[in-house]
Amino acid sequence: MNLFIAAFGFGLVSMSVIAIAAVGFTMQFGITNMINLAYGGVMISSAYVAYYLNKAGVSVWIGMAAGALFGSVFSFLLNRFIYAPFMRKGTAHLGMVIVSLAVSLMIANLLLPIVGYYPVSYQEDTGGLIHLGPIALTRDQFIVIGVAIVLMLAIHALLTYTRLGKAMRATAANPTLARNCGIPTNRVIDAVWLITGALCGMAGVVAALNAGTFVIDNGAAFLITILAAAVLGGAGQPYGAMIGAVIIGLMTELSAAAWSPQYKEVVAFGVLVLVMVLRPQGLLAKRGALAAAG
Amino acid sequence: MNTFYAANLLIYAGIDIIACLALNLQFGVSGIVNFSFIVFQSVGAYTAAVLSMPPDTANFGFQHYIGGYELPFPIPWIGAVVAGGLLAVPVGLVVLRKLRSDYQAIALLVLSVIANTVITNADKFLGGAGGISLVPSPVGDRITPRTEPYEYFYIGITAVCVAVAFLVVNRVVNSPYGRSLRAMREREIAAAAIGKNPVQLKMTIFIVGGMIAGLSGAILVGYINVWGPTVWLYPETIILFAAIIVGGRGNNIGAILGALLVPVGFEEVTRLINSNGTLANFGPPGLLSALQWVAIGLLILGFLWFRPQGVRPEPRRVFEGGPE
Repeated sequence: MNLFIAAFGFGLVSMSVIAIAAVGFTMQFGITNMINLAYGGVMISSAYVAYYLNKAGVSVWIGMAAGALFGSVFSFLLNRFIYAPFMRKGTAHLGMVIVSLAVSLMIANLLLPIVGYYPVSYQEDTGGLIHLGPIALTRDQFIVIGVAIVLMLAIHALLTYTRLGKAMRATAANPTLARNCGIPTNRVIDAVWLITGALCGMAGVVAALNAGTFVIDNGAAFLITILAAAVLGGAGQPYGAMIGAVIIGLMTELSAAAWSPQYKEVVAFGVLVLVMVLRPQGLLAKRGALAAAG
Repeated sequence: MNTFYAANLLIYAGIDIIACLALNLQFGVSGIVNFSFIVFQSVGAYTAAVLSMPPDTANFGFQHYIGGYELPFPIPWIGAVVAGGLLAVPVGLVVLRKLRSDYQAIALLVLSVIANTVITNADKFLGGAGGISLVPSPVGDRITPRTEPYEYFYIGITAVCVAVAFLVVNRVVNSPYGRSLRAMREREIAAAAIGKNPVQLKMTIFIVGGMIAGLSGAILVGYINVWGPTVWLYPETIILFAAIIVGGRGNNIGAILGALLVPVGFEEVTRLINSNGTLANFGPPGLLSALQWVAIGLLILGFLWFRPQGVRPEPRRVFEGGPE
């Protein structure tokens, strides 16, 4: 029983990491209509940026801020110089999926000679265990949970109370109509890539921190968990992604305790398959995966 | 350039051509973005391997796998074809029925990664991370493998398989059925409106493509005698996609051309550049192979940008009496 309570604690950390990543991913898809398969690649690149800063003696948390900045700029440039031109050219939806997959392949392999094959980890004093009832987590893990809660509230505030957030929602609902109402959709989309890129970068650093050690290939594993959470919640739905993250985070950690940690992604995949068979539109979306590709 | 090198090249070319023909049928003609194509090839390879191998207690039981039936030559290959088709049924039923096309692509990509993870970790099932080795060469008991006559024999059976695959695929593409497939690819709703059943069309092509992919895996494993998770990582599928995009989506000749240009030509050129080994110590370890992958990515982006129709575009089919 204690094992499962401990696993529940890890599940809280996991869901925080997944939530940060999945909200960014799903917002990219919902607002810019781009399934960015390079998301995992940007995450792991940001994790390495933080790693090199950390190696130079900077704290992981400053590294996380740097990772967020890097992810933000990287995602913005990726859209400006690759995705947006292809979209303007009228590349079909499926073509864009292939483009982003090619980009993700290139990111991983440009990174490989720089960072090498060997697993690395952050040098960080995890701050000892803090007991909260039967759950024992390190200080860092509590910080990760805190960061996730703050970010989720910030995203909620952004989408609900700010002009930019409202413009984003309008752009997601109907870009043409939004443009006709005087919303500068191109600038909104730039803002989306900057914000979601920052989430992506931050998620990369906390995911790497949570994993302990990491290698480039982790990018693909991150992506699968994120896809599962985003699709489960209903792709394009930030609140759905949060719910998806909670479910996937808990399920992967509990199954790791009950079964084997090697199959974490397999459990995430099992959830993905179930959703695709039973409720392809996801928990929150009305149409989502069922609508015809644009 | 000795006989073995040439034979090696021809056999690999044949395998890649078969794989590209199948992928072209799915992706080029029918618009199914099968990112888990390599899984179907791999299922064929594993099936052919365990059907032709002795039980895993042989060779002092140093490897573990299910099956081991020591069946004579054509049966393992037929088994591989059947296995490729059988795998396509559940996968197709989950993925192709309700989902939007971009979701299909994602689901198949995820399947490819997960299947690899499962096989890697399940070490009693198909050899786990180490894979399986000492797979017997077909007819190896009558013609000694790794001799010149055997190489000619293998080129021969590969060529026969290429011809069969080409005839099957060409027949499908140029038939009224192929017209339905293209209609579905171009506008699924319109095709459904005139009475075509897109799910049925997609399922059929998914199964046929899976069978041909299984065959290509069987030929490959019979030749290299080993198979393991590292040879079917998901980026391998991207190479085949690159071949189709370069060669010309929807054009069978283009698929053959793409197979010769990308998986065969590309690999060979980079090998020849490095043939005297001077580049072996160039840059950090793994730089060259990493750059190869980057180049594959650039090739895809470049072709999609400058020549999305590929080197050999799909022929524009004009019907008499229709508007110009």
